[in-house]
Amino acid sequence: MHLRFSVRHIVKLLCSGWAFLLIFCSGVSGAAESIEFVDQRDRTIKLDGPAERVVTIPIPAASMFIAVDGGTDHLVGMHNLSKAAIKGRILGKFFPDSLSIPSNVTGEGFTFTPNVEELLKLNPDLVFQWGHLNDDIIDPLENAGLNVALIKIGKEAFTRKWLQIMGAVTGKDEKAKQLIAWRDSVAKEVAEISNSIPDSEKPRTLYFMNYLSKLRVAGGKSYNNYYIDLAGGKNVASSLGMFAEVGIEQILEWNPEVILLNGFEAKLSPEDLYKNELLADVSAVKNRRVYKMPLGGYRWDPPNQESPLTWLWLSMILHPDKFNWDLTKRIDSSYQIMYGKGVTAADVENILRFDMNSTAANYKIFR
Amino acid sequence: MITVANASVKYDNRFVFRDLGFTLPKGKIGAILGSNGRGKTSLLKAIVGLQKLTGGYIQTTERIGYVAQKTEITFSYRVLDIVVMGRAPHVKMFRVPSVEDYEIARKTLTDLRLDHLIYQPYSKLSGGERQLVMIARALASECRILVLDEPTSALDLANQLVIFQALQKVAKKSGLTVLMTTHAPQQVSLMCDYVLLMYNAEESEWGEVDSTLNAENLERLYGIPMREVKVSSTEKTFVPLISTTEI
Amino acid sequence: MTQREMRQEDAKLGYFRSKLTWLYWALVVALVLSILIALGQGRYEIDFYSVSLILLENMAIVSESWKPVDERIVELIRLPRISVAGIAGAGLAVAGAALQGIFKNPLVGPQIIGVSSGAAFGGAFAILVSESQVLLVSLAFVFGLLAIALVYIVSRQHGRASILMLVLSGIVISAFFSALVSLTKFVADPDDKLPAIVFWLMGSFASASYEKVLLIGVPVVFGIGVIYLLRFQLNVLSLGDEQAQSLGLEVEKIRWIVLAAIALVSAAVVAAAGVIGWVGLVIPHFSRMLCGPDHKVLIPVSGLVGSIYLIHVDTVARTISPAEIPVGIITALIGAPIFAYLLRKSSDKGWSAE
Repeated sequence: MHLRFSVRHIVKLLCSGWAFLLIFCSGVSGAAESIEFVDQRDRTIKLDGPAERVVTIPIPAASMFIAVDGGTDHLVGMHNLSKAAIKGRILGKFFPDSLSIPSNVTGEGFTFTPNVEELLKLNPDLVFQWGHLNDDIIDPLENAGLNVALIKIGKEAFTRKWLQIMGAVTGKDEKAKQLIAWRDSVAKEVAEISNSIPDSEKPRTLYFMNYLSKLRVAGGKSYNNYYIDLAGGKNVASSLGMFAEVGIEQILEWNPEVILLNGFEAKLSPEDLYKNELLADVSAVKNRRVYKMPLGGYRWDPPNQESPLTWLWLSMILHPDKFNWDLTKRIDSSYQIMYGKGVTAADVENILRFDMNSTAANYKIFR
Repeated sequence: MITVANASVKYDNRFVFRDLGFTLPKGKIGAILGSNGRGKTSLLKAIVGLQKLTGGYIQTTERIGYVAQKTEITFSYRVLDIVVMGRAPHVKMFRVPSVEDYEIARKTLTDLRLDHLIYQPYSKLSGGERQLVMIARALASECRILVLDEPTSALDLANQLVIFQALQKVAKKSGLTVLMTTHAPQQVSLMCDYVLLMYNAEESEWGEVDSTLNAENLERLYGIPMREVKVSSTEKTFVPLISTTEI
Repeated sequence: MTQREMRQEDAKLGYFRSKLTWLYWALVVALVLSILIALGQGRYEIDFYSVSLILLENMAIVSESWKPVDERIVELIRLPRISVAGIAGAGLAVAGAALQGIFKNPLVGPQIIGVSSGAAFGGAFAILVSESQVLLVSLAFVFGLLAIALVYIVSRQHGRASILMLVLSGIVISAFFSALVSLTKFVADPDDKLPAIVFWLMGSFASASYEKVLLIGVPVVFGIGVIYLLRFQLNVLSLGDEQAQSLGLEVEKIRWIVLAAIALVSAAVVAAAGVIGWVGLVIPHFSRMLCGPDHKVLIPVSGLVGSIYLIHVDTVARTISPAEIPVGIITALIGAPIFAYLLRKSSDKGWSAE
């Protein structure tokens, strides 16, 4: 009689314990599951949990997602030009799996028009797309019933928003916060010095968005303008919009002291400008201050997760006398945080495009 | 000289004219009368070489000059430039008219008493003057045969007279062979030597004006009663016989 | 007519001739002035005195008082560019005049008749398959000619092409070749061929060089030459096929030769500078108002006026703002309203509105 009573007691305890545990667990998972955030066109997106299958169409978004998420597990599709920035470069080395992620979600080249059928094959639960171009590239995605998060380009504040959104999407808000805080602190570091540089000492700077097929430069509304300014330079094309086509005579009239070359035209190198006899009188060409933009986890010219490194690099390019960061250390430590991996000296030379920049003025300071 | 033998032209599976034949001797003036406009024009175009025959043949021994019924030109050239275009048969490809060509053009205009219009733009001319300029252009080509499609249908009586007088004078002076279509039988009798009466696609009659042009044939041609009227001892004309009580 | 009246008429002819001579001289002087002015204009400031000295130095010994960059700009950037613009202007204007004569219609120009689209496709395809500049001009020519031929065939009704049929056929054929261009762009390799094609299509005088001057100069001069040699035949042809035939002209043969010359000129301009419209349409109109419709004077006058016009348009395109304005936009902004005005004012001196 004594025993029976205790067995029943134990069974009751166990059952109610189980029940309590079940309720507790479902309650907890219910609270932790759903995610809600606002994209850059003020649309609210709801997800049931951290995204498992993400496709990125904006070119910088793929590597940024890998950085925030800490890997390629949840990235199932990317733009072909994102892939081009991975193949043969450091991110491909860090994450070899990334090379096999499908990159045919749009047509070939510089188009953002989605290839909806290919996209649907990937079965994504979220697609990132540009929100500042026309709606023709958005509508097909929505019509197919996909979740679309829109991001815009231009200001530094926008890039921070991207990190924030990706933090929410991956459930890695802390990492996103960390990357944003890093941007804050580096921007402050650089501005502290650059703010005290008088205008007359700021070198005339020009960034070529296109050089080989036509001459297109970055104007005052571009992101490039932001960091040229931050790093203590003067964008000669600041009176123009985002990007504008100019004639060669205009380049001569501006006479930039430093020229930056885009990372999109793969074959473009400073040699192309040194060879051009029409540019022989330009200050930047005479003094060999023509630089190919570096390519780390992503191209350093457009806004991306590694932008603070761009600012540090550029400040040393523009003012070798005033800025003296240990760029190798900075790259190494930030990569540890972003990708969980460090870099060798050879990696750094690869990233900083020593293949094209080694004979440029003052470039040995990066060794 | 113009020789037409067994000529036929078919249009949309219908004969416009069939088995037509006549010979217009050198230096003579011939007229074509008929109520069906298309037949006359087709025949004329066939003679000039602009229309293909479906049967028979046409033989012309010398250069032909052609004056269409109404000439619309898009650009308003000066009269002299238009007439000198008539020299085209003598101007080789990639060449332009010579000084002599311009001389001939001017002379042609003088013959037709059009000197005062030499530098006028074509659009400023009256209907009659325009037709004369076109005739001048045809003559400037030094053609020996002149073919005109209803040269006066669009003109008022005074201008009609001017045209006919000019034609007559020029033809007789240079001994041109002239063939024209017309709707005015009275002019035919006054001016022409031969006439072709195109009754219908199958039947036509060719002969000298004196014998062939009479009230009976004209009645057959136009389907309305006609009466011959003697204007003078040598000239006759024809009038439609319309009595007010008929209606 | 009396002797005195005849002398009066001859005096009038002399007056007309001298008026014409005066016009020619005025235009030639205007062209030379335009070139000189254009050489002094640009985003980079060079004073006129230096420009003159730089030019003089090519003919005589002058002490160098200017910077080498100035000389480079004047001789390597501006002069080739102005030359290409001038040649293109002359070519387009003459092609337009000849086209209007052939189609007996003053409301046509190379852009309406499809030759620009055809040439655009020919060139795009050439870029796709090879690097050869010669192939580019050749294919531009072949397809430009094909386009004109198609428009001509499609629009013909009883020997005369009404303006409505012409415009409609032109639209259709242009659309067809535009689609082919899009297909070419789609198939092209995005890193290499596609940017080259896109850049070429947008066209501008910005990439002018002495090679381009030769590339455009030879075909255009040749084409204008052929058209000028056929100036009398064009006069006769503009009367109408039947009239021309009755005057003993080999109508088809002449027409095809002229169309080929027009295609050659248009293709060369498209090859060197992309698609530029409203020049071949408006300049011949304006020239007819100056000198009448006789092709003997119309051809040279159109050529000169077209040259002057496009040189000035290009000067504006490259100086008015730091950014390059596509020349085609400016010619459209100027050309369309002027054309509308000319349409209203269509007077006897030029063409009748029939």
